[in-house]
Amino acid sequence: MRGNPIARLIRLFGFCALMLLAFAASSVQAQTNLRPPAASPTDGTVPGEVQGNTSDADFWRGVNHGAVGKVTIPDQKAAVLINRSGEDWRNLRSGPILLWAGILIGGSLVGVVGFGIVYGKFKLDAPRTGRVIPRFSQAERWVHWLVACLFILLGLSGLIILFGRTVLKPVIGADALAVMANASLQAHNLLGPIFVAGLAMMLMLFFKDNIYQKGDFKWAMMGGFFSRHHPPSWKYNLGEKSWYWLLAFAGTAISVSGVLLIFPAIPGNLQNLQLSQIVHVISAIALIAASLGHIYLGIWGVEGALDSMTLGYVDETWGLEHHRWWAEEEMKKDHVVEGAPDAVLAAKNAEA
Amino acid sequence: MTFLEFVEGPLWYFAASVFLIGAAWKVVGILRLGRKSDLSIPRASASVGAIKSQFLHFVPHGGFTFRTLYHLISGYMFHIGLFALLFFAAPHVIFMQNNIVAVKWVTMPYWGFVLAAQFAFAGLILLWVRRISDPVMIKISDRDDHVGSWLTFLVMLTGCMALQESVEALRATHMLLVDLWLIYFPFSRLMHAFTFAFSRGYTGAFFGRRGIVP
Repeated sequence: MRGNPIARLIRLFGFCALMLLAFAASSVQAQTNLRPPAASPTDGTVPGEVQGNTSDADFWRGVNHGAVGKVTIPDQKAAVLINRSGEDWRNLRSGPILLWAGILIGGSLVGVVGFGIVYGKFKLDAPRTGRVIPRFSQAERWVHWLVACLFILLGLSGLIILFGRTVLKPVIGADALAVMANASLQAHNLLGPIFVAGLAMMLMLFFKDNIYQKGDFKWAMMGGFFSRHHPPSWKYNLGEKSWYWLLAFAGTAISVSGVLLIFPAIPGNLQNLQLSQIVHVISAIALIAASLGHIYLGIWGVEGALDSMTLGYVDETWGLEHHRWWAEEEMKKDHVVEGAPDAVLAAKNAEA
Repeated sequence: MTFLEFVEGPLWYFAASVFLIGAAWKVVGILRLGRKSDLSIPRASASVGAIKSQFLHFVPHGGFTFRTLYHLISGYMFHIGLFALLFFAAPHVIFMQNNIVAVKWVTMPYWGFVLAAQFAFAGLILLWVRRISDPVMIKISDRDDHVGSWLTFLVMLTGCMALQESVEALRATHMLLVDLWLIYFPFSRLMHAFTFAFSRGYTGAFFGRRGIVP
């Protein structure tokens, strides 16, 4: 049974040769499995349809453009792997909005300074009479200053949040900016709701006399703020009324969008939040830019204007020179009085 | 030693000492002033009048309610808000537990903190606005009133800015202002936090002795 040794040797070689052949064949098969036939995919379809028909490039392009997949968890927003709108919002916020915000505020600042240089302080032409007219009630003054204080705090903290990375970071560094931005955000969120309540009260208190009426445009046609001859106006001139309505619309937009940003569950989705943020920024920038003119004229630009908002009354001369039609009406009411303490009482009586 | 360690360590102990010694000194000084002996025949107990006035003066006298409504509301908003923040805000409770009393008590939830802070801020701003826009208040307010208001405001503002407790520098800024506030306290009208009781007591005793509800 042992047979011829030469024949056994030949059978052994034959067996080994068969094994090598089988191994080589399986290797070739394995390589065929790993690498499909070399051919470029066209329109997302891989020739041969051996291992799927979608290219990686198209797949990730779809993901990058916000393709919606499937998830088994309740939060269906998780089905979007990359929310493209976030990048669009970021580009808008850090690009055109930032640029135009800077231009608007800078332009307003330059305009106010230029106006101050060219026109100087508007002083009274005639001497003060000593008789005063009540102009703002205590409630009006208190609410105005409450809103003013909060507006300044919110404006500064908001500007740090908006411009911090562009303007402050190169100067103070990333760490310091992080501290300031963090602090500003906390203060902004905390003080915002008080501003909303104050603004609502202020808009109600000042509504009555800020409705546009006959004569407002006459004031504008006579030069308005740019006239040196004090064109006549009612209690508020066209510029002041326009400031009120800007405050009403932009302030309401700021308030509503601000509340949505503090309580993100209300808007529901990210797109609404992004929209709220953009509305918030645009409205705030418009108000900040316009407020520079209001602050300048109220504090420095017009002699006696600040008294009206701190003391509540103005001299008869001031009333006649700046708001003639209103002053004449008030003087007919016979509560023009001598001296400040009496004026306060007169203002209270007028309220009653 | 970091700046935070300094303001929470040596400076804090110095400020707390100035506050305690200064306030005690002032209170004792006021008490030692005494008062002139009242020669009128007592119609009722002066002591009862002094005690009654402590509570009755928490609400305005009937005839003054409307006139005092503004600073009554804003005053309560500020003081209750500040009290809640000072004693029930979680970071304050932890700080006091570590540095003062070694006892922990209940803390406000986050929404409670925010609400209390908003009441306190609104109240303080309204009170200060009254100072700058009421003809009488303008005349009787001096530098001390404004410094006290602003210092308190800055303490509160920096405290809220440090709310997230993620940045050491903000906590250090808050603590620095707290220390300054404590040092300033005994030398200013902030002392009314202690002296209001004596003021009410004196008025209550004076009128109580005459049989008048103080």
